[in-house]
Amino acid sequence: MSNLPDPILEGLQRGWKVLGGKHGPLPATLTCDVAIIGSGAGAGITAELMTKAGLKVVIIEEGQLKSSTDFKQLEPEAYASLYQEGAGRKTKDKGITILQGRSVGGTTTVNWTSSFRTPADTLKFWQDQFSLKDFTVEALEPYFKQAETRLNIETWLTSPNENNELLRRGAMKLGIPADTIRRNVKGCYNLGSCGMGCPTNAKQSMLVTTLPFALDHGATLLVETRAERFDITNGRITGVQCIAVKPNAAPVSSAQAATQIIAKHYVLAGGSINSPALLMRSKAPDPHKRLGGRTFLHPVAITTAVMPKTVAAWAGAPQTIYSDHFLHTQAVDGPIGYKLEVAPLHPVFFGANLPGFGEKQAALFRQYPNANVMLALMRDGFHPQSVGGQVELRDDGSPLLDYPISDYVLEGARRSMLTMAQIQFEAGATMVYPGHELAEGTSTWAQTKAAIEALPMKPLLTKIGSAHVMGGCGLAGDASKGVTRPDGVHWQLDNLSIHDGSIFPTSIGANPQLSIYGNINRLAQGLVKRLTGADVVLA
Amino acid sequence: MSHLPPHHQRRTFLKLGIASAVLLAVAGGAVALLQPGLVDGKITPSTRLVLTQVAQGMLAGSLPADAAPRQRILDGMMARTDTFIAGLPLHVQAELSQLFGLLATAAGRRGIVGLSASWEAATAAEMVTALQAMRTSGMDLRIQAYQGLHDLVCVPYFAGHESWALLGYPGPIAV
Repeated sequence: MSNLPDPILEGLQRGWKVLGGKHGPLPATLTCDVAIIGSGAGAGITAELMTKAGLKVVIIEEGQLKSSTDFKQLEPEAYASLYQEGAGRKTKDKGITILQGRSVGGTTTVNWTSSFRTPADTLKFWQDQFSLKDFTVEALEPYFKQAETRLNIETWLTSPNENNELLRRGAMKLGIPADTIRRNVKGCYNLGSCGMGCPTNAKQSMLVTTLPFALDHGATLLVETRAERFDITNGRITGVQCIAVKPNAAPVSSAQAATQIIAKHYVLAGGSINSPALLMRSKAPDPHKRLGGRTFLHPVAITTAVMPKTVAAWAGAPQTIYSDHFLHTQAVDGPIGYKLEVAPLHPVFFGANLPGFGEKQAALFRQYPNANVMLALMRDGFHPQSVGGQVELRDDGSPLLDYPISDYVLEGARRSMLTMAQIQFEAGATMVYPGHELAEGTSTWAQTKAAIEALPMKPLLTKIGSAHVMGGCGLAGDASKGVTRPDGVHWQLDNLSIHDGSIFPTSIGANPQLSIYGNINRLAQGLVKRLTGADVVLA
Repeated sequence: MSHLPPHHQRRTFLKLGIASAVLLAVAGGAVALLQPGLVDGKITPSTRLVLTQVAQGMLAGSLPADAAPRQRILDGMMARTDTFIAGLPLHVQAELSQLFGLLATAAGRRGIVGLSASWEAATAAEMVTALQAMRTSGMDLRIQAYQGLHDLVCVPYFAGHESWALLGYPGPIAV
């Protein structure tokens, strides 16, 4: 329990307009200038800019409003209240578990604060393959700069914890460059609990920055409210139908009347998977069959090491060191590249992600203070064999991502496990456990190398996770190649903009939060200009 | 389901999903009526038996050897399992209900878990053997079931403070 001031409770006392759940019943109708669906990275940036321009905004969030008073650094409560599907969202064949946020602030409330601009080679690929000629490093520079200023994104000057330091140490011994990660924090206590909601409000998530700004400037926030479908007439949206939902996303009542929100313009920012699903439920035009396709995950392969000394991977800023070496040692459209990072380890995450069970796993559990989990985030979407996943709807209208794990990705899993194991041994590991159901721990690099080379790389057997969902409403300069125009407007629906990570035509090749802030900052400023004629900036 | 008459509450046709696919595989295409593994989102006594036995195999070496403290931890886990399941979307609850309904049958127990002894009679050693066979099975459905059970055991176990002592986790820092 935090004893620090809670800016959300203070805002509610000041009279913020928040409805839904315990905050009060939803009205039958609401009218506004701009209705924003979602409250994560893209929604927050958009909400601040819209309200700065004096527009009347309604923000619709399916999850709950939780704040620092609620953030007790306990995994079960956090996973149940702050993540999609209790932090257990899975792809259709259950081959990938997806960590994706679901509360006010979206994934920014629970992410690990890693901040990278969109890499130049990713933008170049978009220019060449998706006719996105304005998506250049130079054109985006001022928009990234503003986002970095607004969210205090700076180099983390505190020493990395041992969990991160060992990545740098092991990589350096192999001549692999590793660098410091920038973080969106202000006055960080270095607790390491970012993934359970920041209890000190140091993380500059949407929850404590842009959303409070918007609410202080008259926005209305609906929580525990799901946008079920858009009403569409003659290529325009005429309203969005919403229902009250319980914390587990079930409707509060099967008999309830929908709340209708009528806006001049609609901004869809529910995140990948959920944004395309809303368009599918709405039977939005999709003449080129692009909707929900090319959904990317940065599939993550892992290896777990036992180190000779205490690592305490639960304590300290979660991610402060990374290496992009294996993104740049081959062509962007060659064998899959990967970014190296580490994972903070709390008990449930650790227990659920270790391969194996029983006596052998029990021995590893007892090594928890000395454990390190290394991550390889694979850059999907740049190769003909890396087409990503397709969002589908279940019978109840909820979304399901079908993301078959291709041999192209599995080859990368093997290669990256070799890299990570070698780095861990160079850093001093006494045992390494590849993330694979058939792998047993081995105590030397030679043994581990032989073991990884012999493992059958198959879906399910190979443990793959994801914390980054991108695409599904891809940007393209040509209507036949995507869902979203370069200015963020839906190709077939004139009064709908899509402002979240679903617009990325490939994965980013880096933790995506700053890519969303920067790109959406530009699109939202353009939208404000078109709606009001005003020039507004984020910072 | 609560608006259905009791007869239908207790019995449900499997829809397409993991459990029905397994059932088709193990029962030669027979369509079966199964008791749901969850009722009103809570684990039934038969699901509790399955989970308790699976937990003792999954957590062999982690759970205390003595019966009394072991039972105390298992009871805590089962209570947290209900809380955990209540937080899951209905489609996940429905799938779990089907899976546990199937595992409670002899065909499901043999076909998916590979356990010939009844759930009541299975020894810890038999559970370990069965789980290892599931984990390394060539059949996707058995691996999916294993991984689902692994999560359903590990999440409630590591959510409990008893596991923190085993791990050496000091708990959150007060702020």
